[in-house]
Amino acid sequence: MKKEKAMRLELRNVHKSFDGKEVLKGINFSVQSGRALGLLGRNGAGKTTTIRIIMDIFHANEGEILLDGRKFEPSRNQVGYLPEERGMYPKKTVMEQMTYFARLRGLDKKKATENARKWLARLDVSEYEKRKMDTLSKGNQQKVQLAATLVCDPDIVVLDEPFSGLDPVNSQILKDVIRELIADGRIVIFSSHQMSYVEEFCEDIAIVNKGEIVLDGNLDHIKTEYGKGRKILSALNLSLDELEQCCREKLSDLLEVEGRTRHNIIFRLKNEEDPWQILDRLRTERIEIDHYGSYEPSLNDIFVACVGDSAEEEGSGDIE
Amino acid sequence: MKKLFEVYCFECSNYFKSKSYMISTLLICVLAIVSISLPGLLSGRSSGGDGSKKEDKNAIAETMAICDPEGLISDDLIHSYGKAEIKRMNSEDEVKSAVQSENADAGFVIRSDHEYDYYVFNQTMGADNNELFSELMSTAAKTKYCKDNNLNYDELIKLDQKNIVCHENVLGKDSRTNYWYSYILVILVFFVIIMYGMMIATSVANEKSNRTVEILVTSTTSTSLLFGKVLAGATAILFQLGLIFASLLGAYSLNRENLGGMLDIVLDIPADVLVTFAIFGLGGFLIYAFMYGALGALVSKIEDLNKSAGTAQMLVMIIYFLVLFQMMEPDGIIMKVLSFLPVSSYSAMFIRIAMGSVATWEIIIAAVILYASVIGMGFVAAKIFRNSTLRYGNPIKLTNALKGLRSKE
Repeated sequence: MKKEKAMRLELRNVHKSFDGKEVLKGINFSVQSGRALGLLGRNGAGKTTTIRIIMDIFHANEGEILLDGRKFEPSRNQVGYLPEERGMYPKKTVMEQMTYFARLRGLDKKKATENARKWLARLDVSEYEKRKMDTLSKGNQQKVQLAATLVCDPDIVVLDEPFSGLDPVNSQILKDVIRELIADGRIVIFSSHQMSYVEEFCEDIAIVNKGEIVLDGNLDHIKTEYGKGRKILSALNLSLDELEQCCREKLSDLLEVEGRTRHNIIFRLKNEEDPWQILDRLRTERIEIDHYGSYEPSLNDIFVACVGDSAEEEGSGDIE
Repeated sequence: MKKLFEVYCFECSNYFKSKSYMISTLLICVLAIVSISLPGLLSGRSSGGDGSKKEDKNAIAETMAICDPEGLISDDLIHSYGKAEIKRMNSEDEVKSAVQSENADAGFVIRSDHEYDYYVFNQTMGADNNELFSELMSTAAKTKYCKDNNLNYDELIKLDQKNIVCHENVLGKDSRTNYWYSYILVILVFFVIIMYGMMIATSVANEKSNRTVEILVTSTTSTSLLFGKVLAGATAILFQLGLIFASLLGAYSLNRENLGGMLDIVLDIPADVLVTFAIFGLGGFLIYAFMYGALGALVSKIEDLNKSAGTAQMLVMIIYFLVLFQMMEPDGIIMKVLSFLPVSSYSAMFIRIAMGSVATWEIIIAAVILYASVIGMGFVAAKIFRNSTLRYGNPIKLTNALKGLRSKE
């Protein structure tokens, strides 16, 4: 069901310390209905702590969380929360605990049962509704847990590493569900290490590093900004090492090599006003061009550039 | 309140859908009914029968060897104590030999009208051959004395057995009659606290161990979660004890005449004592149930639970023994102090009410202190539960948990 009312969830200057150690140093970001925000960061960066503060599991030492300008209280709103550490009652049947979680979220008995059946069916686990949780496979437990997250038809969905433990088929089902949630106008906050998933759903990202937001905003804008003035190049007659060496030695008056992807070198033109000049020089140096084009960084490239070293992924948008 | 009710219903369903809980409750009820009805059933009498009994005297032994040189004991007198094969011997050695070779179950060598030796091969528990024979000797001596002094034996016996009737009027409380049911109820509440307290602690620790707690605390308050659990535990106890008591009392009222009212001392509990037991017992259970709930939240692995819950176990045990040792002095200073402390009033005040002298205002003050402490303990336990929610790894020390009550995680 499409949510009529647009909402905006905002974190303002959120600080958190544990035993005197500051783990969040002023987190700021916002997310709106019908959009998904990807919360990214290395292990221990502060993603889960941020999510737990949103969910009121931890209390912030400073700062505030607002929903449409008012203090946000998860227990007073319909919020679906999928924690990083999955947990349900192993000895209770799937239906018993689904309805219990729904009723704790304020649904009446009839609606709780209806919604439980609806989401179990949507996630393709209806056949297990009378089974005890500990008799299900890990993947099915994960799907039931997601169904329990959504059983209250939440306005705000907070998913901490939702794809961990899912096989490709189940991942596809989950992707479809998340797309539907976004299309239905819900706020989706999504933490993951798998950049490809974040790129698929999230219009906005916030990268957390050592308790601080080091980058946030619209993903397309960030990609454009990161690729601005940068080109990629590969050659048919030279390896990447040879091409990089050639560029550094013979073309340094025209370009500055900044790095490489798996198949291309990345460089910045020193004179952006005459892009054809570089092509002439490449021909002169007898470099047979394989790829030449604008560099559009992947989210992984951006992430690595922001938070540290990691294996590089190839950017997209190459010119053949 | 609505969410508290949801938690309460869910936790109640955990008890009432538990096979072990239902089977054990029904089993105890059936055992109570059978054990009370069995004597009547075995004796072939209906529960509404007249209860008259014809008592047979026990035989001293099936086969007995007697050396009675002066002929003090006649065969007729021995047979009046039951059928027995009597082997008359001429010497003490013959008696010993007969007993040793197991040709006689018991041997008696009569020295005089007030002295004899008793021989038995293997003495069994509860054997009373010598006591019966002593009685027999006494009868023989009395008979002989009457005969020697020309007295009427039957009249003498009638005079000797004349009952003196005493009409006892206890104007206060009778500790002799109240002692046993008070003792049983103190033990009962002790076991209930230990057993159900651990069940509540296990339930809390399980939710932490299987990580369900992270979802629960985002849906409702820790106060609702803990109060729901504890109130469900109290409901389960009341249901279980209620059913067991009803079975016991029902079976006893049907079989009371057959049993000669022998369980009156335990089951004929005055209503006012039962009411005070219910009020103080329930309060005592609740205060410890919250304590166990908080202690369950301090661990993330079930195997650490016994260590963590040891604090509450120790306190319950100390109170239990203190009260039991002071039962004979219900109006002593120790019992008076214990009857006002919220951790001990559940049994101490109850004992004072059942066996001692206690003013109404004292009962009211003790009850107010107890229930105010229950609510206070509930909120403290809920705060400890909340602060411990996502602390995994080594068990949290109680002192650290108490220090953390002021912090806002």
